[in-house]
Amino acid sequence: MGDNLPPALLTTSLVNTIQIGSLYALMALGITLTFSVMKLPNFAHAEYATAGAYAALIVSLSGVLNPLVIMIAAFVVGALSALISHLAVFKPLERRDVSFYTLILASFAVGLIIRYILFTMADYFNLFDLRIAIPLRVLFREGTLILSNLFAWVVPTSLVLVFILTLLLNRSPLGREMRALANNVNLARVIGIPVERVKNYTWLLVGGLAGVAGALWGLQTAVHPLMGWGAIISVFAAAILGGLSSFSGTILGAYVVAFSENTVILFLNVNYGVDLAYKPAIPFIIIIVVLLFRPQGLTKLIRRAGDLGR
Amino acid sequence: MINIDIGATAISILTLFGIYSLMSISLNLEYGVAGLPNFGKALFISIGAYTAGITYTRLLPLLAGVEAIHPCGPTMGGALQLRSEIMASNPTAGFINFGLTLLFAAAIAGAVGFAVSYVTLRLKEEWFLALVLLVGGETVRILVRGADDFICSHNGISGVAQPFFFVADPRSRALLFMLLSLALALLAYLYSQRLNHSPFGRMLKGLRENEEVTRGLGKNISLARAQIMAVGSLIAAIGGVLFALNTGFVNTNDFVVNLTLDVWVMVVLGGIGNNRGALLGALLIAIMDRFAQIGAIVLNMGGSDIEFNYVRFIGFGLILLWMLRYRPAGLLPESRLTTDAHDVVRRVIGASK
Repeated sequence: MGDNLPPALLTTSLVNTIQIGSLYALMALGITLTFSVMKLPNFAHAEYATAGAYAALIVSLSGVLNPLVIMIAAFVVGALSALISHLAVFKPLERRDVSFYTLILASFAVGLIIRYILFTMADYFNLFDLRIAIPLRVLFREGTLILSNLFAWVVPTSLVLVFILTLLLNRSPLGREMRALANNVNLARVIGIPVERVKNYTWLLVGGLAGVAGALWGLQTAVHPLMGWGAIISVFAAAILGGLSSFSGTILGAYVVAFSENTVILFLNVNYGVDLAYKPAIPFIIIIVVLLFRPQGLTKLIRRAGDLGR
Repeated sequence: MINIDIGATAISILTLFGIYSLMSISLNLEYGVAGLPNFGKALFISIGAYTAGITYTRLLPLLAGVEAIHPCGPTMGGALQLRSEIMASNPTAGFINFGLTLLFAAAIAGAVGFAVSYVTLRLKEEWFLALVLLVGGETVRILVRGADDFICSHNGISGVAQPFFFVADPRSRALLFMLLSLALALLAYLYSQRLNHSPFGRMLKGLRENEEVTRGLGKNISLARAQIMAVGSLIAAIGGVLFALNTGFVNTNDFVVNLTLDVWVMVVLGGIGNNRGALLGALLIAIMDRFAQIGAIVLNMGGSDIEFNYVRFIGFGLILLWMLRYRPAGLLPESRLTTDAHDVVRRVIGASK
């Protein structure tokens, strides 16, 4: 064993882990939900986050600096882009009962279209790499560790949203219907659950959460058309760690991925000289290892109520 | 107005057509015929390009009888000049180097494809293969990019010249390279047509339609999968070598998921399971690519602010969605496969009726 991480570096990376992990969780829960309810591995999911981030950016640039309004705008735009992609693309395809690969391909195409529409827009109005203009204030400073009001925004918001989503899924009628769909669509239809309506609500919810995640992301870094796409594999890794079916597993998975991308890579860098350029490989390696050796993800370790499907 | 050199445009489109055909035929063999969702196409294409990056910097000087210069860092310029001089003055070394590049690329990619197919045996669900390949391709790209000395990933390797670089006249040089890429594509096409109509090809289609039945008929399906993945990957890597030689440049940034998607668009557009469809898809994408470039230049000169490359991706996405929804079998759908015996039987039955 080599040296330990310098404490300052360690705390910063842990703070990053919590911050990034919460955002991953918000997005990964959406992927788990779409996969369970709609049986669709949605590679366009990250673009809803990017769309939400741009909505937030545009609202903030127009002079409205109330964070609540910004978040609501992001939610609405993310939700709408998700619903539109369902109605225009996924629903007609599902009706034809196409293969899994067709759906994957279609989700890539949807992602491509949204991403490059945003690119065109950003290019036209010069909206590359801008930060959502909420003023920065330092709340806490201790050595190199600086906590700003962004941290106070990002972490509690995402935690509260994750909590609300879990409650919604486990305690509300809509959540019950979603779980029924996840379990067996035909059975759900037979007992009179309005399948199409539940699906629409699921898409709105999933897209909205991704949109908020994107807006929160844009608060701490800058908004760019590639920001969602850059995170999609990490987010998928988190969902796969949750076995694509477990809520608690997905949340835990999100923090595991964020921890390995922030703290573990630093540890490897300090002790074994692993170049930080390898950081993007971490979620990839997690996915491959999990799919090969533990396809059920972390579910067996923490089986609880609220697991979808199976 | 700009003048479009029609001859040069045609040559570049046909060259691209040959290269894309190799890629689309390989995906068609894997996905169209055998049903294996290779979402890691960029990985196997990149193996060809990286191999070219290595042979041009290490093997080529050796073949020409001079000492190799380290291609990256401060000696970069010298190494580039050295390989350009060899390619311009020593066609024999250039051709041997090209042949060996194809051979190495095919061997490496074939072996990787063979090995990767055994991963499916471990996977709980079939579609996980798509994910593993997609993610595996990106992982390799990041690892190669991180290992800078390998193919100078930070700057890329330029001067990866095509074997006819010694020809002085640029037009005939391009024409010869076009013929080379078309010839290789034709070989791949003839081979895959033969494979399609062979008993092995029919077994693969059986595998695509129903795995259990095929296994029940006593076929070794894991071996068949490994073989077709090896063949497909090998063809893709040859396409990758030509891809690198066509741009003259090897860079890890070229082998992202978008390249994989391009190949998928070709196959879906042309017709899944039909080799002619794969060719048609490759041709259409080559034409669209070239005209997108020309369109971008025209737009820029017209003072437009819209970046045409973005429009290209939106267009590709729309084409893909349109095809998946309205013409899932592609422009040239897969024809019904008949054997000679089948034809005879049908003639006899038809005559007796």
